[in-house]
Amino acid sequence: MAEPGPQRGWFVFGFRGFAEPRGGGARRVEPEPGGIRVVRPAWSYTGLVTGRGRLALRGRLAGALPGHCRDLLPSESHVLLLRGAALEAWARGAGLCGGPAWRRQLHPGEAAGPLPLAPGGYVTPRPPFLCPLPPALRAQKLVLGHEHAALLGPAGTVYTWGCGRHGQLGHGGLEPVSEPRLVEALHGVPMGDVAAGGWHSVSVSEGGDLYIWGWNESGQLALPSKALAEKRPPGAGEAELKLVTHEAALGAEAVDFISIQAFPALLDLPEGSEVSKVSCGSRHTAAVTRTGELYTWGWGKYGQLGHNDTASSDQPRQVGYFPANGLTVEDVVCGPWNTYICAVEK
Amino acid sequence: MSRPSSPEGLATSSCPTADQVSAGNTMWADIRALLPNTKEDLKLDFSEKVEESVISLLQQARDLLYGAGSLCSGSTRETCLQVSEIIIDYSWEKLNIGTWRDVDKDWRRVYSYGCLFKVLCMCSEQGTIADTIRVCDMGLLMGASILDNILVRIINVLQKHLTYGKRSAEEDTKESRRKKIRNDHSTVPSIKSEEVIPRLHCPSLEHFREHYMIPQKPVILEGIVDHWPCMKKWSLDYLRQIAGCRTVPVEVGSRYTDEEWSQTLMIVNDFIDQYIVNKNSIGYLAQHQLFDQIPELKQDICIPDYCSLGEGEEDNITINAWFGPEGTISPLHQDPQQNFLVQVRNPGTERRSEFPKVTPGVHGRAGKNPFLQIPCMGHYP
Repeated sequence: MAEPGPQRGWFVFGFRGFAEPRGGGARRVEPEPGGIRVVRPAWSYTGLVTGRGRLALRGRLAGALPGHCRDLLPSESHVLLLRGAALEAWARGAGLCGGPAWRRQLHPGEAAGPLPLAPGGYVTPRPPFLCPLPPALRAQKLVLGHEHAALLGPAGTVYTWGCGRHGQLGHGGLEPVSEPRLVEALHGVPMGDVAAGGWHSVSVSEGGDLYIWGWNESGQLALPSKALAEKRPPGAGEAELKLVTHEAALGAEAVDFISIQAFPALLDLPEGSEVSKVSCGSRHTAAVTRTGELYTWGWGKYGQLGHNDTASSDQPRQVGYFPANGLTVEDVVCGPWNTYICAVEK
Repeated sequence: MSRPSSPEGLATSSCPTADQVSAGNTMWADIRALLPNTKEDLKLDFSEKVEESVISLLQQARDLLYGAGSLCSGSTRETCLQVSEIIIDYSWEKLNIGTWRDVDKDWRRVYSYGCLFKVLCMCSEQGTIADTIRVCDMGLLMGASILDNILVRIINVLQKHLTYGKRSAEEDTKESRRKKIRNDHSTVPSIKSEEVIPRLHCPSLEHFREHYMIPQKPVILEGIVDHWPCMKKWSLDYLRQIAGCRTVPVEVGSRYTDEEWSQTLMIVNDFIDQYIVNKNSIGYLAQHQLFDQIPELKQDICIPDYCSLGEGEEDNITINAWFGPEGTISPLHQDPQQNFLVQVRNPGTERRSEFPKVTPGVHGRAGKNPFLQIPCMGHYP
């Protein structure tokens, strides 16, 4: 972009909520007065919170917006807002007009956020909007997959629960777990961050090691993916290639391919880079290294990997756009089918 | 039925033909004729489960389809194709959330609409007929019935226009295949089931009910299916002709309780090549409503009169078809329903005396409805 933007800016690769030529390069996110403090992508739109507490929506959702916003959790059905001293759920269909469909006033001394963390539990974009958590967990961070949740507890412990059919819980089995359960395979390695994709999970140790588990259907675990290996020539469409029934997936692949990884697997990035931040889209993964490089892998059909193409990748690949433009990557936030990156000029 | 070429109707101007299309204009006209006349007739009604953003994409694809110039404009078609892909990809994710039986039917309908719109983009210009049929089949396999089963009707049109260039090249090897199969049959172990299971030739309904169905004793019924069309028609070539480029789920591995067992999708021609003709590994076409997907095959069988002895209506009879190589093993199991099992072997081979046969539920408890299993070809241990 030719515009003389601020030194620090947000960029986005991938899906924007509507049909457009795929695989285009990075797009600069239009700056906001006061800066962009929070980026929360849903599938068809993205919510931004500015440094002045204003909520800005981009994509397929617009409308008069409530102010005094601190955080949001957007979805296709409801937008959850942490606004003033209250949690609110606004129906997306109403274009955020009228009033919230649900509201919970925060009492003095109650802390909420980062969303979905809320007093006594966590918020979800569907009724009943507030789910309880055992207080003993003292959650630092909570992330939601399509059908599972991962939580970063005190002392870097990781808990997961929900549906486990794709190995996304990391307990070694495929059974559902109804209450938060410690991921024992990670025990003893303090984690500094967790992220959840649609059907996979990632954690980053305080030492910068990356652990990953769950469904590898598009190579989102950076493990050898059968679907990618069998990829037909262009024109055959992509979604249709990957029907492997869930029941069949465990242990069903040839030795060389991993469909489901039910225990955390240590993932080495090229050159032994240490990871500082990680984020997951529905079927892709992005990691920022401590030296400010961005690596992506997994599903790439909408250009979300940032490699100027629409290919999926089952290996971490560095995104060349930022070094080529003299930028260092500071943060990454994946939407379901896109990737938002905060970068700063070197 | 006449169709307007005005903006609110489907354009009737000629579209470029696809490769492998014998008469592309005719095909497009035939397919167009299957669609509702106006976009108002193509209703997109879904429950609240389907989000507004998805509905608006469905409407966008429909409006592009019925808009001025329709899909004959390259850019309109390209946009419609992209919208279709987005619909397919998004609903695919919904179909993979939760167990299959809990997936809301409306998401399966959305998936089918995505496939329908993509198919219309494909057959209005690019893409081979085989690829287009593949997309239809994905809609049938993962989606739900829409617009009076339009995907089945589109496949019927597409198949009429499909040339069998590839098959004629295969004719050369047909003879050797036959030989191979015949030789292989000599290795089939002879099952002396007649020592334990009685055989009856066309018993009366009353006799069958009293002596076998009520006491739940297995029996081999003879002479019941001799007149079924499948007995004369079914062969590998016939299946290739009817269903060669249809996509079906295939079980890979010898038995579904094994560690190495898995499922995959492939077209019937590939299945026959890989698992029926060459038997490097074991594959089985099962656990799938094959007759629903390919109704032509269902016309080749009949429902035995004995099924009327069940408690349910005839409409409630479950009919399954399996297709596999010889030597396929089903682990010991119990079905909840009474079963009739019919086996049809490749007529290119010698017919063994105990095949075909009909047996009532040899491993079932009394159920409400009779259950007719039709392994199209192959053996049963």
